[in-house]
Amino acid sequence: MSLTETLPVPALAAPAAAARTAQLLAGLRSRIWRGALALILPLAVLALWHAATLNGWVAQQILPAPTLVWSTLFDLWDSGELWTNLSISLTRVAWGFSAALVFGLALGVAMGLSKTAEAYLYPSFKAISEVPVLGWIPLLIMLVGIGEAMKILVIAKAAAVPITINTQQGIRNIPQAYLEVARVYRFNPRQLWLKVIFPSTLPSLFNGFRYGLTNAWLSLVTVELLASSEGIGYQMVWGRQLFQLDVVMACMVVIGVVGLAIDLVLQVIETRLLRWRRAAF
Amino acid sequence: MSTLSLNHVGKQYSVKGEQLDVLDDINLHIQPGEFVAIVGSSGCGKSTLLRLVIGLDDDYRGEIRIDGQKISGTSLDRGIVFQEHRLFPWLTVEQNVGLALENSPLSQAERRQTIADHLDLVGLKGFETAYPYQLSGGMSQRVAIARGLVNRPGVLLLDEPFGALDALTRANLQAELRRIWQQEGITMILVTHDVEEAAFLADRVIVLQPRPGRIKRIVPVTLPHPRNRADPAFVAIKDDVLSEFGHEPKPQLLEPVARPFGDYVFAW
Repeated sequence: MSLTETLPVPALAAPAAAARTAQLLAGLRSRIWRGALALILPLAVLALWHAATLNGWVAQQILPAPTLVWSTLFDLWDSGELWTNLSISLTRVAWGFSAALVFGLALGVAMGLSKTAEAYLYPSFKAISEVPVLGWIPLLIMLVGIGEAMKILVIAKAAAVPITINTQQGIRNIPQAYLEVARVYRFNPRQLWLKVIFPSTLPSLFNGFRYGLTNAWLSLVTVELLASSEGIGYQMVWGRQLFQLDVVMACMVVIGVVGLAIDLVLQVIETRLLRWRRAAF
Repeated sequence: MSTLSLNHVGKQYSVKGEQLDVLDDINLHIQPGEFVAIVGSSGCGKSTLLRLVIGLDDDYRGEIRIDGQKISGTSLDRGIVFQEHRLFPWLTVEQNVGLALENSPLSQAERRQTIADHLDLVGLKGFETAYPYQLSGGMSQRVAIARGLVNRPGVLLLDEPFGALDALTRANLQAELRRIWQQEGITMILVTHDVEEAAFLADRVIVLQPRPGRIKRIVPVTLPHPRNRADPAFVAIKDDVLSEFGHEPKPQLLEPVARPFGDYVFAW
């Protein structure tokens, strides 16, 4: 009796489970395939680079061999030098980005909610943001010196611009229809913020964070190249001054990989938090 | 259940400094539990009338009273289902329905229970944790109806709720709405441009005339429910209402005034 009762269930469940595994496998396969596609171009460049050094198309002193860059990377890591400089750089980005977050969110929310605030602030904000980071460095050196404050300010400025703009746009683009729903159900300001404004602005906020963090990382390298005595950008300058182009290139690899990693982490958080947006794509 | 009365209600928009009458001298008394349909061609102000009754627009002449009380602003005692479902895409079906209960005096357990009951009422049991992107247009509108009803409002306003749905889904939901109305006994006001829908559901069909929106005629529908759309008496009523749409004045542009975000939410 128990046999006839229990049999149909696994019999039905098994194909469903098999189908799900097949689906997962297919998904995994397409992911691996896409990952492989992304590697083709870098591998081709690497091959060309290798061929160039092997055949002496470019002088060894100017273009070191990939193998040399690779071993330099490990030497720098083993000596602790790379990590010291990298952690200093990451700390600067963290401080600058945090400052940008506070400032950018506040300014973006103010300009998004109030036309008056926008009228007061937007033109000045736009003018300041149109001057690139490089243009601010000379003035900032005069004002706050060459120390940490200057670097953090430069990074903060670079990150604050996209954060502000995306926050403002996000608030502006909240559909009127949702705000009316909030009024129909008599939401108080706290409910309005938590249930309507924040969630509907979140996708736009994330855009701002991603652009902001990318900008922060880029301008960190710029500012460290120009005025610094430590950090990953400084390590590059130091390598160039000693004409050790393997060090320069190893640093470039590290900067690229860290930038990519930062963006990937944010992307993962974003897709986790905004699962409901899948419909839009 | 509430008695709703509109006395000499009028509404003007000002477009480029010019006053434009949208509604003029609307007088209407709706009995508790009555189903009233308002029909009219687009631009006759029928949706504007609903916005006044729900309380999203306080700028009008005349007065709107519920059980003798003049209305001011929105109230949990008046529910609405919009033409677009207006579900929040970041919330699940049950969370969307729960939005209506944010300011309700019910306890958490009571909320859960009433949300489940209302999802059951609109036939969506089992879809509690689905997101709006997983729902069809008809299912979304069912959720919107559940959200409109979950507060047990005295009056439920429906602003062309099935306008965007395909014919089959629309017919299904009309039958569902009739069942819900009969089961719950809530006063309902349906705005529609679908005369058949109005005749199928309503006790009275109010025909609005455009520019300015005025009541042209009130057609009582006394046929018993459920109504048969092929019944000659039903067809006669439908044709009677349709005949009122005959001679329209020359169309003009109507420009609604867009309100900036700040006006809607905060004073600053």
